[in-house]
Amino acid sequence: MKPLALVLTLLCSAPSVVGAQPSGDSAARSSILALEHAWDQALERQDIKGLADIFDNGLMYVDYDGKLLTKTDYLARVKLNKDNFQQVVSGDLIVQIFGSTAIAVGSYRAAGTEGGKPFVRRGRFVDTWILEGKNWICIAASTTSIQH
Amino acid sequence: MWRSRTAFLILLVLTVPAFAQSGARAESEQVKILALENAWNQAIQGKDRAALDMLMGADLVYVDYDGTLMSKADYLASVKSSPQHPARVVSEFMNVNLYEGVAVVNGIYRESGEKNGKPYMLRERFTDTWLRREDKWICVASQSTLISH
Repeated sequence: MKPLALVLTLLCSAPSVVGAQPSGDSAARSSILALEHAWDQALERQDIKGLADIFDNGLMYVDYDGKLLTKTDYLARVKLNKDNFQQVVSGDLIVQIFGSTAIAVGSYRAAGTEGGKPFVRRGRFVDTWILEGKNWICIAASTTSIQH
Repeated sequence: MWRSRTAFLILLVLTVPAFAQSGARAESEQVKILALENAWNQAIQGKDRAALDMLMGADLVYVDYDGTLMSKADYLASVKSSPQHPARVVSEFMNVNLYEGVAVVNGIYRESGEKNGKPYMLRERFTDTWLRREDKWICVASQSTLISH
């Protein structure tokens, strides 16, 4: 198991594994924030196993250009490394908890190269997470380019 | 008396009893959610704030196609004050993924009309997250992305 995949496994089941944790929504919020951060790291490292652990098999992912990807599509795209991400940073992250469902909204800045040319993309994302057993998994993710 | 036809239709959809069998129930829930999505389109077309209000949770997060983040209040105000006058709002395609008490709808939304005296057309991919609260579905997150590929 790659180190990041191990970290993700711990994060997904954080409240029961890491001992004393804040309870209720606060614990859930911390878990989601950590998973979002781990997602960025997994993208930078092209950690397919780590990413696969985060997503539900029915994941629907909408890319910044409006393309709809399944979990398999998304992982294949990361593996192909067409964007050659060198840095992915998320900011302004807000997490709302509705029982066993969580909505994470934030902005991101991704830098990489495509076809040998550098690019920087700024976008807004909304991720939907559900609690499955003791693990939070992402069932939907959507990104939109920030144009203003 | 209901203030609009759309609001009345939404109330009907929200109060239709669910079937007892789980398979039939899931199908029934999907149909219900698709009806709510269509009601949303109608409400946008008619700039029907009361109908939109019924569809959304108080804590809605909405990301518009240009990346603007809005609360429910922001969104309702933007629909009312928008210089866009939609004449036709349709969903070309919709898919519902149903989980326990949660549904994610993904689809393609097309809106055409007039803006500042000129015709406009938007084609977007949307993702809406609905939660079931006491047998009613409400939208808690919605995001649109312009289709440019």
